Amino acid sequence: MNEHVNPVYLEDKLDEIRADGHLSYRSKSLPTWCPGCGYFSMQEGLTIALNRLGIAKENAVVVSGIGCASRFPFFVDTYGFHTLHGRTMPVATGIKIANDALSVVAIGGDGDAFAIGGGHIPHAARRNVDITYMVFDNGIYGLTKGQTSPTTAQGFKSKTTPYENLDMPLHPLMMLLSYRASWIGQAYAGRPHHLAEMMTQAIAHKGFSYLHILSPCVTFDKTDRTYGKLNMQVHDLSEDHDTSDLIAAMQQASAAEIPALGVYYVEDRPTLSEEMDEISRRARNAPPIAE
Amino acid sequence: MEQPRVGTDIQFAICGSAGDGTIAAGDIMKRAAALMGFKVIAFDIYPPEIRGFGKCISRIRISDAQTYSLKRHSDVLISLNDAHAIPHVGEVRDFGAVLFEDNSIAELPEGGHISAHIRAAQVPYGFGIREISEKATGLARSRNIAALGYAAGLFNMPPGIFHQIIAEKFAKKPRAVTEDNTRAFDAGVEAAARVFKLDDVSVGRPLSAASGADAVMMTGNGAIARGFLEAGIQAYFGYPITPASSIMERMAAALPREGGRFLQTEDEISAIAATLGAGYAGARAATATSGPGLALMTEMMGLGVMAEVPFVVAVSQRGGPSTGLPTKTEQSDLNLAVYGGSGDAQRIVLAPTNVEGCYRCAGMAFEIAETYQTPVVLLVDLYLSNRFETVIPPRKNIFAPKPRKTPKMGKGEEYQRFRLTESGVSPRSIPGEAGLTHTVTGLEHDEIGHPSDRLHNEMNAKRHHKLLPATHFPGLTTQKRFGDSGKVDVGLLGWGSTFGEILETLYTAQGQDIRVAVMKVVMLSPLPVDEIAAFMDDCTHVLVPELNFEGQFANMISGATGRPVTRLTQTTGAPMLVDDILAELHRLIDSPAPPPTSSHRTAEGVRA
Amino acid sequence: MASPLHHVIIGSGSAGFGAAVTLRKGDPDCRISMMTMDSLPFYNRYDLPQIFQGRSDWRDMLAVPPTFFDENRITLRRHNRVVEVDGVARRIRLAHQETVGFDTLLVCSGGRAYVPENLTDKLPLMHGMGSYEAVMRLYRDLPQGGHAIFIGGDMIGIDLMLMLVKTGYSVTLITTPQTLWPHEVSDEKRGKILAALADKGVTVVDSARPVGIDAGSDQGAARVVTLEDGTEINGDVVVPACGLVASVEFMLRAGVDIERGLLVNPELGTSNEAIWAAGDVCQIWNDEDKVYQFCHGWKNVRIMGELAAGNMQGTHRDFDVRVEDRIDLDEAGNIVSTFWEH
Ligand SMILES: Cc1cc2nc3c(=O)[nH]c(=O)nc-3n(C[C@H](O)[C@H](O)[C@H](O)COP(=O)(O)OP(=O)(O)OC[C@H]3O[C@@H](n4cnc5c(N)ncnc54)[C@H](O)[C@@H]3O)c2cc1C
Ligand SMILES: Cc1ncc(C[n+]2csc(CCOP(=O)(O)OP(=O)(O)O)c2C)c(N)n1
Ligand code: SF4
Ligand SMILES: [Mg+2]
Repeated sequence: MNEHVNPVYLEDKLDEIRADGHLSYRSKSLPTWCPGCGYFSMQEGLTIALNRLGIAKENAVVVSGIGCASRFPFFVDTYGFHTLHGRTMPVATGIKIANDALSVVAIGGDGDAFAIGGGHIPHAARRNVDITYMVFDNGIYGLTKGQTSPTTAQGFKSKTTPYENLDMPLHPLMMLLSYRASWIGQAYAGRPHHLAEMMTQAIAHKGFSYLHILSPCVTFDKTDRTYGKLNMQVHDLSEDHDTSDLIAAMQQASAAEIPALGVYYVEDRPTLSEEMDEISRRARNAPPIAE
Repeated sequence: MEQPRVGTDIQFAICGSAGDGTIAAGDIMKRAAALMGFKVIAFDIYPPEIRGFGKCISRIRISDAQTYSLKRHSDVLISLNDAHAIPHVGEVRDFGAVLFEDNSIAELPEGGHISAHIRAAQVPYGFGIREISEKATGLARSRNIAALGYAAGLFNMPPGIFHQIIAEKFAKKPRAVTEDNTRAFDAGVEAAARVFKLDDVSVGRPLSAASGADAVMMTGNGAIARGFLEAGIQAYFGYPITPASSIMERMAAALPREGGRFLQTEDEISAIAATLGAGYAGARAATATSGPGLALMTEMMGLGVMAEVPFVVAVSQRGGPSTGLPTKTEQSDLNLAVYGGSGDAQRIVLAPTNVEGCYRCAGMAFEIAETYQTPVVLLVDLYLSNRFETVIPPRKNIFAPKPRKTPKMGKGEEYQRFRLTESGVSPRSIPGEAGLTHTVTGLEHDEIGHPSDRLHNEMNAKRHHKLLPATHFPGLTTQKRFGDSGKVDVGLLGWGSTFGEILETLYTAQGQDIRVAVMKVVMLSPLPVDEIAAFMDDCTHVLVPELNFEGQFANMISGATGRPVTRLTQTTGAPMLVDDILAELHRLIDSPAPPPTSSHRTAEGVRA
Repeated sequence: MASPLHHVIIGSGSAGFGAAVTLRKGDPDCRISMMTMDSLPFYNRYDLPQIFQGRSDWRDMLAVPPTFFDENRITLRRHNRVVEVDGVARRIRLAHQETVGFDTLLVCSGGRAYVPENLTDKLPLMHGMGSYEAVMRLYRDLPQGGHAIFIGGDMIGIDLMLMLVKTGYSVTLITTPQTLWPHEVSDEKRGKILAALADKGVTVVDSARPVGIDAGSDQGAARVVTLEDGTEINGDVVVPACGLVASVEFMLRAGVDIERGLLVNPELGTSNEAIWAAGDVCQIWNDEDKVYQFCHGWKNVRIMGELAAGNMQGTHRDFDVRVEDRIDLDEAGNIVSTFWEH
């Protein structure tokens, strides 16, 4: 299921890339990820997406937690906040609430999102904060050197599960669907064009968008979520999937061991900022408050 | 007992069961006294239990000169429920008054009536509270107001002012409510006119009635909220917790009117995280919590220090550790507020000592946070949060934000968010400002903000040194000495709500021919060490009274100055008593040098 | 250990107070509760006329400091009106609906002012003198140099009248059969005493029954007393001084014998072995004359209270009803009475 790639010539490509403009979203710092890590694709994807959407650098804020994935803000030339392990959601919420004009993109790993930060996601989703959350799921704790995470498969051996992981993994898509995130999609680091397209859609969505990105950790996972295996397993959501049908989305999400790539669910409902403006309108019409 | 003051200095205690309207009656009394032009300090105690069971007490001290704490002895007790009021009869001073229901409709067991507990030196006033209410309104519901009227009549307080406050209080309810309550009040006044006054409680005329109209009755939490609002707070995030919730509730109602934004988050971690996020994005943002919440917030507090983000965290302490004593006051989160978190994370901690201070500190907190690019903790406690005082806010808002200056970059100059400057304060840009994009992080970083351990020592120094001038922040009282100047026998160092009792102790001691001075320390981090040391130079003994077990402030002071202090600590859940501080002061004066260094009050008494 | 005995005393006058002190002396452990309608702790009622000499702070009037009650663990319950006594179940009921049990009960409820029947509906227009508050009201309502009209002229009233004339007020006494109560004297002596009163400046109106009291007009006198013959006397206050009637109404269902007062034997016990009485409220068996008789007067009631308390605790002493009862004029023409000896 690999994308078909025509041979390209470096010079042509460089010209094309420069002209396109997304490179200007890169920072001077070179990514510190291991060679081959799936995360490289997201740097490319996000800069393309921001460029396509014409979001000025100073109006984009990339918020991350702690982990390999969360290193991301240093590698883009936007405003960035490398926060604490697990706390991207509330920090990003605060930034968005303070300034609606900003495009806020939150980034984290699977541990950052669903272990230490798991309690925040339902609330960001239900409130429909107008931010984009991209979780890079490598099924492992990369930064701390290879311990299991909440999405690690059963049977996986890691430094903290030397006798195999017996815990059942979480199902992030099912969780987000039940939290009623208003945009939910899945992408794969091994399909950069699709990834960039999904990132663009996610950011463009008004409301809370959740993009789950499957990404191999080439250093600490040699057996489970490898490019080789994932390349065999990923597939696209069927064309006739109705993205307004929550139940259908859940059926699709639970249909295969590795769920399909694509947009599962889209809903248009008031964002947190819109709700707050409505509250302000009501408050102004209410009688004065005693001291 | 406290020295009687010249002029009016009367403390009312109104006690009843939840549902009796105790707090409402107290509220009317305190507002009326304020409108009359008196200074008012008041403290309400609500039941932790659900409505209908628990005890409520409202204590209101009204005086013509500013006072600083509640008195140990009330002058008047009004019982709306004897079962609850009986344990409080003892707090009424000799020749003070006890007002109670003399016409119960329920059968009472032996000793169930308050008259069985009134001492011979106290003056009983039994009257048919319910009957007065029923005759005036047809219902017993206005008992509280009838009793209030009786008290107003007995102590000769002008009914017109009460009528005005009653009308304000029930303005949102149907007109009949105001009318009924006014009638019940007047009937109470009339009933009092028929009794012979035997107590020696007298409410005089306030010194200046003119200030009455400008005076605003606020709680410490109300004052914090008001300070935030006047400072132009734009975002508030919070998670409910006693005794900080009333700040949050006030914000929920008031902030959206001003176009600001309010959010109840899923926990304290997200509350402070969102506050930090908003602060990072350039908004004036705050949260409020109590000890357990602060414990959860410490990691984010460290991030605020490291990433140099301005925001404000109000903390109202209650008894701890852990869930502790949610409805009791204590000052045991000082260490957590000042030191909590990993690494060397110096921040600014302000601890106002009265309601007016809450208002001022909250009003200035954002400016301070922005000036030094750091989190500011506003540390109060339940006793200060919930107590009422009269505050006369300036006519013109003095806390409004000044316009922000965007850093100017020279041509080809690279923006360095964390540039090492002489003051330690670096040029700060916020998202949306072009040409100044950068990433901040909780990792140690270089001047640009990139993760690096190269400048750790310099950066630590910068983060500490930039705060030091805050101890002389213009317009902010960070410490202040009161009492005798020059050498004194005993100097008392105090912080937070306990300072009220310390100041009252000073005034009492001065009447006893002791050379004594006191110093309040409002800025607990960074400490105004020079001023504290100079004060200690003048004192033969230094006594530090505070409401925690270990003497957290005493430890800080003696750590910072390298000098011994005498601790007076207590964790009874109640404010310290002036009598106890005074006793310790006398013990020190009488004790031969070197002074002992600690004395701790337990339920059984003082253990040296 | 058996729980300590609970002694309940009704009344905090001279009799009740004397009893409480004695009870405490006799038994350091017992519980003592003193129910009273008064609002002040124990004070000497006979000092009340001194209010007109400026002794108006009630705290100066107290016989013992308030701490006395705390120190002696005497629970003094003021504003407490006993409405019923159950002599079988041994409990009393208070007006505010509280029930209090007792092991022994001592009734020292004294008496209240007697008002001639034809004037009872005029009570609101009269000023009492039985308590501190009452005398303070009288003091407040009587203008400087004003005119007080006394109806009756019992020994309590005469004491007050003499104080009033001495302090610059004018006083009219309208006599009644109770004049000189509780003394019973010959007509001749009565005349002599009334003459002495007139000598001191009291206007004595003898043998003319008062039949009406009215509030005067705003401009004129505050009170107008009409006599049977139609004469009108203008004054500022009207004070009934016709002696006392025992306060016993709350004892009607107690199951003890009552005539005008509570009937007690010489040991001051009633017909219920748990109930005793002392002071103005009781009539004591006089074995010589075979009658129950009152023994009024401060000194007497105090002794009664102490004696009853002792007897409640097991002593067996009789009260000697042959108390001294004498009224006369001394050489200087001053009235002297055993009633006024304290
Ligand atoms: C103004 C004045 C001056 C006097 N001067 C003299 C004098 O100079 N010399 C002299 O010898 N005597 C004098 N007397 C009279 C003398 O005081 C009485 O004989 C004496 O007070 C009787 O005492 P007692 O204890 O029996 O009752 P009291 O003193 O009459 O006390 C009665 C008590 O019973 C209480 N009581 C009554 N009913 C109830 C109830 N239902 N429930 C609860 N409590 C109840 C009352 O509250 C009160 O405390 C004077 C009295 C007065 C009022
Ligand atoms: C409070 C806290 N606990 C633990 C850590 C250590 N820590 C850093 S990253 C990480 C796990 C990262 O895993 P994941 O979120 O999946 O990101 P990845 O590195 O795989 O991209 C942990 C446990 C931390 N930084 N903070
Ligand atoms: S450790 Fe794994 S996840 Fe982290 S950078 Fe290396 S390959 Fe990527
Ligand atoms: Mg991971």
